[in-house]
Amino acid sequence: MIVFALGVFAQNAPKPPSTHLKVGDAAPELVLNDTDGNAVKLSDYKGKKSVVLAFYVLAFTGG
Amino acid sequence: MDSFAANKRFAQDIGVKFPLLSDWKRKAVKDYGIYNEESGYATRATFVVDKVGKIQHIELGRTAIDPTGAYQVCDLLQKKKPAKQ
Repeated sequence: MIVFALGVFAQNAPKPPSTHLKVGDAAPELVLNDTDGNAVKLSDYKGKKSVVLAFYVLAFTGG
Repeated sequence: MDSFAANKRFAQDIGVKFPLLSDWKRKAVKDYGIYNEESGYATRATFVVDKVGKIQHIELGRTAIDPTGAYQVCDLLQKKKPAKQ
C-alpha cells in the first residue's frame, strides 16, 4: 500500500525545470522589443558585452 | 510575455536601468527551452551569455530569482581575457 502511494506521488510530482541548452552552447538569437517598441537583438552585443538574460515570468505583471 | 507597452509602465514604476524586453509571441522562451506548453507559461530562468555569444551560466526555476550566481559569473567573465571569436 505504501509502495503504491509512493508510486502515485512520484507520478504526480512536478517535473523540475529543464532546458535543452547547456553551458558552452551558442545562445539562440533573440530579437525582442524594448519598452519603446524598438527591436533589440542579442547579437548586437556580440564582441562588446556579456549579457544576462533574466526571464522573469509572472513577477508583478500579467505574464 | 507582456506587451512592450505594459513593460514600459512597469519599467517606469520601478525605474529599471536595463533593457526590459517583451517576449509577446513566446518565441524566446521556446528557443531557450523554458516554455511549458501545458501551463502556457515559461519557467523563471537566468542565462549569462559571454561576449562571443556562448552560454556561461544557466539557472532555472525558483533559484533563478536570486541573481547571486549570475553576478559571480559576470565577475569571472570581466576578469577573463577576451576569447577569440
